[in-house]
Amino acid sequence: MHVFGSSELLEDVHQKDLCIGCGGCVNLCPYFKNHRGKTTMLFPCTLAEGRCNAYCPKVEVNLDELSLSLWNKPYDGSPLGVYKEILAARSGKKMAGGAYQAGGTVSALITFALKTKRIDVAVLTDRKELVPVPKLVTQPEDVVKCAGSKFMASPTLAALNQGVKEGYGRIGVVGTPCQVMSATQMRCNPLNTEDFHDPVELMVGLFCTWAVDTRGLIPLLSECVDSACIMGMDMPPPPSEIMIINTGESNVEIPLDRIRPLIPKACSICPDMTSEWADVSVGVVEGKSDWNTLIVRTDKGADLVNAARKAGYLVTDKMPEENLQHLCVAAAGKKKRALSAAKEKGLLNTQQEGQRAALRIREDVVEKILAEDVEEVCRT
Amino acid sequence: MSYLADDRKNETYLLMGNEAIARGALEAGVSVAAGYPGTPSSEIIETLAEASNQRKLYVEWSVNEKVAMEVAAAASFAGLRSLCVMKQNGVNVGSDFLLHLAGSGTRGGLVLVHCDDPGALSSANEGESRHFARLVEIPLLEPGDFQEAKDMIKWAFALSEEIKSLVMVRSVTRLSHASGNVTFGQLPENDSKAYFRHGGTFLDPLEGPLISLPVAYKHGQQQEKLRQAVDRFEDSSFNIYSGPEFPELLIVTSSACHLYSKEAINLLGVEDRVGLLKLGTTWPLPPKLMRKQMGRSDKILVVEEVIPFLEENVKILVAELAPEIGIKTFFGKKEGTLPKVGELNPDLVLDAVSKILQIDYEPAPQAYIKRAGELAAVAAPGRDLIFCPGCPHRASFWSIHNILQMDGRDGFVCGDIGCYSLAMLPTGFGTLKTLHAMGSGTGLASGFGKLGRFGMDQPVLAVCGDSTFFHAVLPALVNAVHHKSNITLVVLDNSGTAMTGFQSHPGLPVDAAGKEAPSIDISGVCESIGATVKVCDPFKLEDTQSTLLNLLEKETGVKVLILRQICALSPEKKSKKMYDMKIDETTCLGENCGCNRLCTRIFKCPGLIWGKEEKVAKIDDVICTGCGVCASICPSGAIIKKEVA
Repeated sequence: MHVFGSSELLEDVHQKDLCIGCGGCVNLCPYFKNHRGKTTMLFPCTLAEGRCNAYCPKVEVNLDELSLSLWNKPYDGSPLGVYKEILAARSGKKMAGGAYQAGGTVSALITFALKTKRIDVAVLTDRKELVPVPKLVTQPEDVVKCAGSKFMASPTLAALNQGVKEGYGRIGVVGTPCQVMSATQMRCNPLNTEDFHDPVELMVGLFCTWAVDTRGLIPLLSECVDSACIMGMDMPPPPSEIMIINTGESNVEIPLDRIRPLIPKACSICPDMTSEWADVSVGVVEGKSDWNTLIVRTDKGADLVNAARKAGYLVTDKMPEENLQHLCVAAAGKKKRALSAAKEKGLLNTQQEGQRAALRIREDVVEKILAEDVEEVCRT
Repeated sequence: MSYLADDRKNETYLLMGNEAIARGALEAGVSVAAGYPGTPSSEIIETLAEASNQRKLYVEWSVNEKVAMEVAAAASFAGLRSLCVMKQNGVNVGSDFLLHLAGSGTRGGLVLVHCDDPGALSSANEGESRHFARLVEIPLLEPGDFQEAKDMIKWAFALSEEIKSLVMVRSVTRLSHASGNVTFGQLPENDSKAYFRHGGTFLDPLEGPLISLPVAYKHGQQQEKLRQAVDRFEDSSFNIYSGPEFPELLIVTSSACHLYSKEAINLLGVEDRVGLLKLGTTWPLPPKLMRKQMGRSDKILVVEEVIPFLEENVKILVAELAPEIGIKTFFGKKEGTLPKVGELNPDLVLDAVSKILQIDYEPAPQAYIKRAGELAAVAAPGRDLIFCPGCPHRASFWSIHNILQMDGRDGFVCGDIGCYSLAMLPTGFGTLKTLHAMGSGTGLASGFGKLGRFGMDQPVLAVCGDSTFFHAVLPALVNAVHHKSNITLVVLDNSGTAMTGFQSHPGLPVDAAGKEAPSIDISGVCESIGATVKVCDPFKLEDTQSTLLNLLEKETGVKVLILRQICALSPEKKSKKMYDMKIDETTCLGENCGCNRLCTRIFKCPGLIWGKEEKVAKIDDVICTGCGVCASICPSGAIIKKEVA
């Protein structure tokens, strides 16, 4: 992995409008701050190499290096990444109800992990008024307060960096694919720091097709509903073309045509729908609104899921084949669109002198992904 | 007790030009003096304010220069001698009144002293206020040394009283702030009584109402007064010629430039070739004197600073006199013998004279100049213009800069006049984006804040100091409120007119003489006109930043944030530390990722030093004021503050 400094980060990410505001660079130093979803640099820093650049998921991300480090094999571009099994899941009877987006699987896993001291602290995303804000949670009962999808790009990783600063060594992180990608780069010790210790004990990834710009969405929401009354939001899967705002009394629908212009440019080059670098990844299940799709990727993830199930925090079921097929097609489609967009913008495997790539993936893998028929790939 | 307000007739003292001016006013029996602080003029009112504790004299720091002129004029209308004092920009502020005052005329002697700042050593401009004399048709005097500074003031009062007109006296930085010997005259007993006579007719200058109507009649009177002044100028002892009877070159000059010219003539040893006409009465020029002097030389060099005011006036006069004295060759600013901007000095005059007389003169050997330049570049430490250690403005602008960056809508701050003008430089993180006259920051903001309908969505901020707030911000703020302009004004309230030396202003509970006075509460004033007002301590960075962000994002219309913290140099705070500061060298991240010397590279309080060898930050205990702000910015908590017991 090639690491540069903050001036390259500004040039390659901020000035190209590719910052997704994941928070990966926030709280590492006094220079980067995120306010209302937007990350800005307060003052210039002159260092030639910095963690801000090394952790950023939008500049010089080498997927081969990440894959070798995590899975001991090169990145092959498979639609859902590396996994052991895919299940349907929801929170078990030990979990009290909450404002879950679907089945409450994430809340259940994190609550269980905190309760059983598998992790000391969890990095979650809370909401202040309508703005998503990062939060460090140590008490299991506080986890459900952060339940529910925020749909807006949020600086969650600022809390991870804060947790590391505060000395936590076994941190659980819940993040979207960009956040998981950033944190995974951090876990690979890109600056070769001596006595490096990976502070992330558990990585729970979320499914994400795209996020919505916080500063764009809030005025739109306020225009459509009294923003103080918003209890939750949902975006039903295609072919539905609406965002649903739950105000407690009623549901207000906002056509996606009004939402789409608010999708950050950075999402268009994201090749990951299912948080491929996590221990477990969680999303919704089409047609079963109170269940989640749960992708178990690592031994640690499998162990957590089994233990949580045994302890009554989690209930799992088999995932219907048809749903798996849909999930795969959606993930493969996102990957293909992202690589094509990144290539077109000159952000994929950039070779020109003095210019940097957003993503680096072996050329044969790129060719394979760009050439594949997504339906075909997912049938095999 | 000030010796300046003591009689001490015929004693000689080393006086600063401004003290000499004040002494002159005292010797003239001045009863009222008013001004607004501004370098290089401030010591005149300060000296008189001190004297007011010994003598029958009323002195005030007025809210602004226009009001100062009005306060002084009232005394004159009531038959008293009065003085008003300001720096060059102040005359612009008062100029509207000045024009009418010239028309109405005066009664007791009224003298306006304005101190110009050639080279803008302490100003945001190199303004020239001599031209106001020509513009509003009143006499102008320029003292050429320290004794004259005192004597000329006395004479100006007499002249003003004789012709019933305001008289302007111009000083410059190098006269006001330099010192020379001055022999004292007698101090009169002041038994003046104030009474405003207004029962006469409009046309009666002594008993009638004081107004500039009927205009044509009063304007004619004004010109007659100027003619009377010129008569007195013809044989004034302030106009001095020295040199040969028929000089090869005649230097015409005034003010401090007369000293530079003298020095140049002396250094070149051309006393027998060059004549020096030092004028003390520079507007209107006395034609008979000028005819006599101009007629004896073919080459004329006019030496003066800022705009070629004297040069143009001399040229007009010489053109009128051409049938009698012939055509002359002029040198000066117009044809480029002397620089058109900046201060003059003896070397520049020397260079001009040696060129005109074709004298081969080298002020210093070229090799020396080159070597000195090289050494200065490598050996002299860089000294930026910076806020003092512990200055509240550094903390204020840190917060303003940071919240504007975080807000991310490319907001900007309209600046104003005060120490905080420095915030356009790195010491204020380059936060100010406009800088004009007193109060203009808020006026500009009021305008920017109405451009929303043209697509402007940048947050608009303005800053002003507490003194500036009263001086000229109020009308602009009222304008902004009335027109629902969406702006945030940050009042940097450091409890004094700090830049010019802690003069009092209407927000403070003392007056110019240090006596108790009612103070006017800025937040109350702002609230009463309908602004949303918050008050914070700028040293509390987090509180200041969240308050400011909330104002910026949530409130519309006019928001005022008052950042209240006393200036680090103020007499009540100086040398009193709130905290003892120290650095934990083991946790200081230094140049590493995670800090990269935030405190010594960006925050840059002079109380923090970068230990080049140890690679850690250090506290300079000698100059650290113990404000504790740097402890809040250190990302690793390595700067530790301990409350002073």
